[in-house]
Amino acid sequence: MSDQMHMHAEHDLAPGDEEQHSVGVRILGYVIGLALALLLTGTSFFIAGTDLVWQPSIPVALIVLAIAQMGVHLVFFLHITTGPDNTNNVLALAFGLLVVFLVVGGTVWIMAHLNANMPPMDQIMRMQ
Amino acid sequence: MPVVRTVEATMLGKLDWSAIPFDQPIPLVAGAVVLVAILAVLIWVVVKGHLPYLWHEWITSVDHKRIGVMYILLASVMLLRGGSDAIMMRIQQAVAYQSQGYLPPEHYNQIFSAHGTIMIFFVAMPFVIGLMNLVVPLQLGVRDVAFPTLNSVGFWLTATGALLVNLSLVIGEFARTGWLAFPPLSELSYSPGVGVDYYAWSLQISGVGTLVAGINLVTTVLKLRTKGMNYLRMPMFCWTTLASNLLIVAAFPILTATLAMLLLDRYLGFHFFTNEAGGNVMMFMNLIWAWGHPEVYILVLPAFGIFSEVVSTFSGKALFGYRSMVLATMAICVVSFMVWLHHFFTMGAGPDVNAIFGIASMIIAIPTGVKIYNWLFTMYGGRIRFATPMLWSVGFMVTFIIGGLTGVLLAVPPADFMLHNSMFLVAHFHNVIIGGVLFGAFAGFEYWFPKAFGFRLDERWGKAAFWFTFLGFFATFVPLYVAGMLGMTRRMQHYDVAAWRPWMIVAAFGMAVLTIGVVCQIVQLVVSIRNREALRDRTGDPWDGRSLEWATSSPPPVFNFAFNPDVRGEDAYWDMKARAQQQSLEHEVPEYRDIEMPRNSPTGFVCAFFATIMGFALIWHIWWMVILGGLGAFATFVVFAWRDHDEYVIPAEEVARIDRVNLEERRGLVSMAGAT
Repeated sequence: MSDQMHMHAEHDLAPGDEEQHSVGVRILGYVIGLALALLLTGTSFFIAGTDLVWQPSIPVALIVLAIAQMGVHLVFFLHITTGPDNTNNVLALAFGLLVVFLVVGGTVWIMAHLNANMPPMDQIMRMQ
Repeated sequence: MPVVRTVEATMLGKLDWSAIPFDQPIPLVAGAVVLVAILAVLIWVVVKGHLPYLWHEWITSVDHKRIGVMYILLASVMLLRGGSDAIMMRIQQAVAYQSQGYLPPEHYNQIFSAHGTIMIFFVAMPFVIGLMNLVVPLQLGVRDVAFPTLNSVGFWLTATGALLVNLSLVIGEFARTGWLAFPPLSELSYSPGVGVDYYAWSLQISGVGTLVAGINLVTTVLKLRTKGMNYLRMPMFCWTTLASNLLIVAAFPILTATLAMLLLDRYLGFHFFTNEAGGNVMMFMNLIWAWGHPEVYILVLPAFGIFSEVVSTFSGKALFGYRSMVLATMAICVVSFMVWLHHFFTMGAGPDVNAIFGIASMIIAIPTGVKIYNWLFTMYGGRIRFATPMLWSVGFMVTFIIGGLTGVLLAVPPADFMLHNSMFLVAHFHNVIIGGVLFGAFAGFEYWFPKAFGFRLDERWGKAAFWFTFLGFFATFVPLYVAGMLGMTRRMQHYDVAAWRPWMIVAAFGMAVLTIGVVCQIVQLVVSIRNREALRDRTGDPWDGRSLEWATSSPPPVFNFAFNPDVRGEDAYWDMKARAQQQSLEHEVPEYRDIEMPRNSPTGFVCAFFATIMGFALIWHIWWMVILGGLGAFATFVVFAWRDHDEYVIPAEEVARIDRVNLEERRGLVSMAGAT
């Protein structure tokens, strides 16, 4: 097995494999990631309850913070980079995002139409 | 006495003697016969002393070829079970005109639910996954899949699901809800029995197995390829495996989540899909088909790959339009996630939503059409040998085009409003699943059988099996198209319309012909095993093959290849043969090296054992047993994770000895080819 495993190693790393960095550099990466994640989490909790900002902007801000949180996780913990060794991971991520977009987007679209065309019985009662 | 009853209730949950259907002779007798057969086989195995062999060589094996064979064996056994259900349904509909027939409604409903569940999850899935397991590492020129032990876990969890489904025959009941268990019928208020729980838990457990197999095969194709095997040199079957397993990884979590929500409704009083308290049954249809449509492409894409290999091999030509085939495969892979609403056009999403999904469904016929033309052009001008695998492939093309065209018809929303849930639909999806997936599985079975076992299958019985199945298929399902046009809906236990009756009788007759086809296939297997010396494949290349699986002996040694093959183009093995590189290579004395292979592990079997206990306990609400099974499975995982020795070494001399035997035979073949 091992000779096959190493065959692609020069250009293409298996998921979870990492290029050889010293332990210190790697721990630093995780610490920065943790700090950023905590900062984003703390900000989300702060914004959700604050009245310092314009209220309707709060949901948008939370969505932005959530996406930033995902980015931090991908970069610092899952080690998605733009390097040539990471093509598979980036492609897998792109495929995953596409599928999530299709399924979630499609579901919202379908269910909205269904709810508009065929509302539940109690709603029909209220309309009459 | 009341105290005793309470203890019993907590010890055994809902399970008591009323769970055994003493009043229903058919399942009881069938169950008893199967039980006796299994016991007889077990006793025979133990008495003859085969148990250690079975345990060490098969049950604990992490060899992808062995696991592939076990997957296919599971699929074949379950095909007989699902086929028996089909025969019972055809007979019921042939006799139940203005009468109750011989199957009471609650039993008939279980049969059509079990038929669908078994045929999709425990026949089609294990068959294609088994073929992918068996062949893909060989075609890629590597020694095993990426995660050998995980592979074994995946197989045994699938077997657990199959076991639970069959257990429902004797203990309790199966779902009466159809193969997708639509709520609100599948909710606790309408299905209070354990049938839906059997359905849901067996699919949850086997779903984990499928997901694991999918991750394994994606990683194998992406990360383990031999020297020079870049993406655009991979055989077509490897491409379709990649696409199919990407779909598994993307789609199966949707099924798991949907069934988990249904189970939360049933077990903990949630209201995801209930009629009351804000539940939305339509969400279930939406989610289950968001998995369900990719699922049909998960099944049919590997079949397309098999046909590509077979057509090119038996036409003696490279596959026509290889790159367009790759593109078509990946296009199907993506578009398959954009069409799921066509399963519920009639649910009321309105014209604009229906139109978009209808058009998307028609668009998916384009890459499929590209494939059909590619196969036709591959055959054009080729020297075609009509061996059994090729017969299945040509039969597929004829059958699948008809099924595909009725599919395009159903993709037109106004037509679908007429045909929704009719026998026309039943005929359509059997047309594509039997004509596509099952014919593909049989083609692959005939084609790769010599690779797996070292001898070919009997051609005469194989051809008989093909013709009976092919003609029987049309005799069974063309009448169902007509009955659908005449307004017959699916899943009818009895009916009063005289015009449907003749078609049901013809369909039952067709089913008899189909059954003869299945019998021929069994006879073929028996005859071939008896004549195996005459049918022996000594060279490892019985069909004059083109891809790397034919470059090693049949059956391949545990390490597949003594050396990693060096690939210089498409059709790697054909290339080697054509340049007679083989010959010069074989006269040199290669320098053999030690090979490290993964050790066998009982992890998969033990995990599945505990999963079976846990699944059974969950179905019957036996909570202490659930905890026991869960702890056991977790402990097995921990023991596996802490293992010290995961590989063993095959010494170079042993590799040399095994490889030389095959080289001798192969040298004979090459010199014979030179003489003619």
